[in-house]
Amino acid sequence: MAEAMAYSLSLSLLYLGLLCGNGLVSARGSELFTPDPSRGPHFTGCRSREQETFRCWWSTGTFQNLTEPGALRVFYQTKNALEWRECPDYTRTVENECYFNKTFTHIWTSYCIQLRSVPQNITYDDTCFTVENIVHPDPPIGLNWTLLNVSRSGLHFDVLVRWAPPPSADVQMGWMSLVYQVQYRVKNASHWEMLDLESGTQQSLYGLHTDKECEVRVRCKMLAFDNFGEFSDSIFVHVAQIPSKESTFPTTLVLIFGVIGVVILLVLLIFSQQQRLMVIFLPPIPAPKIKGIDPELLKNGKLDQLNSLLSSQDMYKPDFYHEDPWVEFIQLDLDDPAEKNESSDTQHLLGLSRSGSSHVLNFKSDDDSGRASCYDPELPNPEDLASLLPAHSGRGENHPLVSSSSPSIPDLGIQQTSEVEETPIQTQPAVHSWGNMDFYAQVSDFTPAGGVVLSPGQLNSSPEKKKEEENEKKIQLQLLSDGAYTSENTARQLDVPPSPGPEQGYHAFPTQAVEGNLWNGEYLVSAGDSQTPYLLPEAPPAPTLPPVSDYTVVQEVDAQHSLLLNPPSSQPALCPHTPNKHLPAMPTMPMGYLTPDLLGNLNP
Amino acid sequence: MTQGSRLYFAVTLLMCAFATIHCVGLNELLERASQLSDKLHSISTSLTNDLDSHFPPVGRGMMPRPSMCHTSSLQIPNDKDQALKVPEDELLSLARSLLLAWSDPLALLSSEASSLAHPERNTINTKTKELQDNINSLGAGLEHVFNKMGSSSDNLSSLPFYIDSLGQDKTSRLVNFHFLLSCFRRDSHKIDSFLKVLRCRAAKKRPEMC
Repeated sequence: MAEAMAYSLSLSLLYLGLLCGNGLVSARGSELFTPDPSRGPHFTGCRSREQETFRCWWSTGTFQNLTEPGALRVFYQTKNALEWRECPDYTRTVENECYFNKTFTHIWTSYCIQLRSVPQNITYDDTCFTVENIVHPDPPIGLNWTLLNVSRSGLHFDVLVRWAPPPSADVQMGWMSLVYQVQYRVKNASHWEMLDLESGTQQSLYGLHTDKECEVRVRCKMLAFDNFGEFSDSIFVHVAQIPSKESTFPTTLVLIFGVIGVVILLVLLIFSQQQRLMVIFLPPIPAPKIKGIDPELLKNGKLDQLNSLLSSQDMYKPDFYHEDPWVEFIQLDLDDPAEKNESSDTQHLLGLSRSGSSHVLNFKSDDDSGRASCYDPELPNPEDLASLLPAHSGRGENHPLVSSSSPSIPDLGIQQTSEVEETPIQTQPAVHSWGNMDFYAQVSDFTPAGGVVLSPGQLNSSPEKKKEEENEKKIQLQLLSDGAYTSENTARQLDVPPSPGPEQGYHAFPTQAVEGNLWNGEYLVSAGDSQTPYLLPEAPPAPTLPPVSDYTVVQEVDAQHSLLLNPPSSQPALCPHTPNKHLPAMPTMPMGYLTPDLLGNLNP
Repeated sequence: MTQGSRLYFAVTLLMCAFATIHCVGLNELLERASQLSDKLHSISTSLTNDLDSHFPPVGRGMMPRPSMCHTSSLQIPNDKDQALKVPEDELLSLARSLLLAWSDPLALLSSEASSLAHPERNTINTKTKELQDNINSLGAGLEHVFNKMGSSSDNLSSLPFYIDSLGQDKTSRLVNFHFLLSCFRRDSHKIDSFLKVLRCRAAKKRPEMC
């Protein structure tokens, strides 16, 4: 506390004292060296060369009557001793210089000097400084250069410039730490190139021009102080230009021509051996082999669409490829009376679907995702059928589907109708339309959504053929053993409901899985051990066939798992819009499918 | 080497020395310490230059004498002959005492720098913070040098600093800031010189270092 008060008191006192002084210079800078003639006597500068001694100079200025020695005297004051002492040594050889030797030089001590005329007791000038702030080191000595290298073109060269610290500065003992600055220019140019400060004693110069003389000089200063010393003497760097060698030129030419030759050789090689190279690099892709499908028939089909549709399908369930699945299926169908009930259910469904004037085909299978299809039991066009077939390698025999089954197809359609029991259906009128329905129709097109667009086939099923059940079964058996496409149709025929009449277009199945099941007759059938494979609507043959549309699209499955079908605009609805109330809640199933067992749950 | 990498290198080496595995010799320690003190002195010089760039002329008149610095009571060698005669451990203790004496004032300067009435306030603020960091690392390094030198006595002089405020009005705050900083600059040069002398004395076997 006491120190603080003393501090502030002395502060204020000094403020007053210093305010009376004039021209107080900051302790850092050293004054100008050139005298100012317009002024009176004044100090022109104080300098130290090695931080051990220093000198001060002054000028009389305009006062010519004070030129005789002794008229002006220098007094100094150090920080501790507040009395003013006179200059310890007025240099004899130099005019107006005061020299402070080692004894009187104290580093880290502030000095204040005054220029007085003692007789008149006038103080003409006053300045304060500390010695380290006025140090201007001597210039470095021993500047020399050595050639580093010459560029390949011979136009430029690099040199290494070396020097030694000034002898007066005691660098070895660490008393002074110097940094150096090198400057160079082309001889007689006006502008000097300056390089960064260098703490070592050498510096490289890059990119000097040959045949041009270069002038180099160096100066130094104390680290973290601002006062540079004088420049050293310049040295001149000169390197004569060496004629450039031409030896590189042929090498480059040879290289270029060699590369061109190799490229030409490669091109020739490729062109001569083109066929062989094509075989090696681009081997021919083996043609797809589909069992049961005639590749020739596939050529006309839209194979790429087929492939895209089938690519994401999970249609291969090899465990369904039982031996003689149809046989098993047939047996079950005949033996199990319970299936009749189920078939009645399916018939209900068929009846329902009939109301929508379209068929609902249901294949009951155990673990199969069944599907409901509105089908048209007509002869499918062989080509169109073939177009639907994927590359089907899991099947047993590679018979073309259509070729073997086509003779029996018309019979199949008829056969189905005989089996179906009459079940009450909601809307009767639609039943008539089912009468002459064939159980398949040709696939004419694919919708962009992936649905199958079927075209109505021929309505040439006759009621009397329904009686030929046995034959049908055999045919179906044969058909199925072929692994044929229309196995679903045969499945239909084997079982249950008489196919009501009218030809219908197939539902266009929006889901790809449905289409998958279209082909995989075995898949469909094998799972259905004890169930009717399909559901056919039953109806007396309709005398008239109301116009039917070729296809309809299964829009969605509503909450109660009924198929909501979207009839096409120009035609009456093909498939029945099964009212919700007729379809009890069914377990979750894929969109667009009604599994056979699910259909059994449907009761109008 | 840039100053930042120098500092990092120095700190890393000093930390290595901390690990009590004598992985750096005394020469290297002193080398790094002198590099740090170089940096310290350079920053303080540039800070003083920044302050001087917009210093009010009246403020120059108000500047206290350098003898008012709180470290002026420390007895130090005033010239080269004296400095070269001082034994190493005394030189080291002088440097360490000076460093220790400036940790508090620098903290004060650092807290006041952000509110200086000066256009270069931000630069001054960052540099003051840098000074603080440098002082701390250099102090830690010198402590290791001291441990490595194996001196028995640790005679550090106490140079207390009792001022806790730079002043009430803007001008006096600026003037006192400048004054303190000039004191510090002088002392940083002292520390640098002492460490250089120490370093060159220790490296007598390798004159190329000095």
